[in-house]
Amino acid sequence: MISLEGVTKAYAVNSGLHLVLNDVTLDFPPRVNIGVVGDNGAGKSTLLRIIAGVEAPDHGRVTRRGRVSWPIGFSGGFNGSLSGEENCRFVARIYGESADEIVGFAQDFAELGEYFEMPVKTYSSGMRARLAFGLSMAIDFDVYLVDEVTAVGDARFQKKCRAAFEARRGRSSVIIVSHGLKTIRDYCDACAVLQHGRVVLCSSVDEAERIYQL
Amino acid sequence: MQPASGVWGQLEVLNALILREMKTRFGKHQLGYLWCVIEPSLWIGTFVFVFQMGHRTAPNGMDTVSFIATGLVPYMLFRESATRSLNAIGSNRGLLFYPQIQPLDLVFARTVLEFFTLVLVFGVIVSVSSIFTDNWPHVADWLEFGLGFCAAAALGTALGLLLLGLSVFLPVIERLYSPLLRPMFWFSGIFFTANGLPAPVRDVMLYNPLLHVIEFVRTGWFLEYRSQYASPSYVLTWILALGFLGLVTERVARRRLEVK
Repeated sequence: MISLEGVTKAYAVNSGLHLVLNDVTLDFPPRVNIGVVGDNGAGKSTLLRIIAGVEAPDHGRVTRRGRVSWPIGFSGGFNGSLSGEENCRFVARIYGESADEIVGFAQDFAELGEYFEMPVKTYSSGMRARLAFGLSMAIDFDVYLVDEVTAVGDARFQKKCRAAFEARRGRSSVIIVSHGLKTIRDYCDACAVLQHGRVVLCSSVDEAERIYQL
Repeated sequence: MQPASGVWGQLEVLNALILREMKTRFGKHQLGYLWCVIEPSLWIGTFVFVFQMGHRTAPNGMDTVSFIATGLVPYMLFRESATRSLNAIGSNRGLLFYPQIQPLDLVFARTVLEFFTLVLVFGVIVSVSSIFTDNWPHVADWLEFGLGFCAAAALGTALGLLLLGLSVFLPVIERLYSPLLRPMFWFSGIFFTANGLPAPVRDVMLYNPLLHVIEFVRTGWFLEYRSQYASPSYVLTWILALGFLGLVTERVARRRLEVK
């Protein structure tokens, strides 16, 4: 269960302040997969980072009950000069998990072959996403925060991701940020629309589509 | 329930960061972390060699190798702690991506690693020298010696933290830092003792807290030397003042340090 209370966040731009989130109060219901839609630059990733606790809001409060993942995406979080395995080991340690188990699972899931032992900077963005995804799936989170990552990779890998989430339904939920409604439709039960600093929670993707198209 | 929380979780984070730092810093070399010890040991070895070639001897009958090592190692500990703290974010920005890692963790992890590395370096130098001369040192006061090392690391970290916070607003600090700190090498008592200085010079030199720190280390290490001027409260005041200002600036700068 994650709730936002009066969360406000602004970034400095040349012409002053750009208000990304304007006094957002919202409860994310537990065990419901939620997709967050919004135009490019609307602040979807910022919202996700604030939910994760990577960034602090300027005003307001975020309450997290349960274990919430870092924002899983294709960039950030990995050290380019370390191998995939070493990166997994590091993340396992900071989450207090057994490094060997996590590494084994991530290696299996990401299907990187020999590249798993190569520096991450040699990876393509698809490979990075696979590593990030496999690694996050290795750790038992109550809520997975996903930033577009599922749109990456071939059809087979996407199917695998969906199956992994399906297997966790009931135990964990996911909050996905995307500007494509298709991804959201595939994964989510409910939808949140982020527009002009406000977030509206809709009970179905269709309802969200109507608002979003306006 | 968040397993990695509280003090224990933070220790796990520190541990992970230290192991990672050991791997990234010298991971490509075959000797790995050992390089961190070998490199400064060779550097100090060169200094000792030059010092002896010039037929200079340490004052008060102190062993020359130990004299140089008790000056240079705390100096390096101070400088490295400051430099590594100042650069802690720049090279690790991606790590702030994980909510449980805060800028302060990056700074502390580096200081802890630096501390243990330089203690090892000191041990290596003294051991090698003792094996060659068959003259093992008798440490006068382990506590004072150890606290001197801690003070060198704390002073460097506090300064580095303050500079880190300030450099967010004044990036020029990263360029000015190195030339501005260079005179410390000559004025911190690596090559002299406070007892041996003429009074007017000494009064000025004693404004430098690092000179006090090196005096502690030497008083703790040597039976032959006892500093008459080193003041614990003076050093502590510097550490607390720099540390407090550093924490405040970090707090103010934190928003700007976030990942984009």
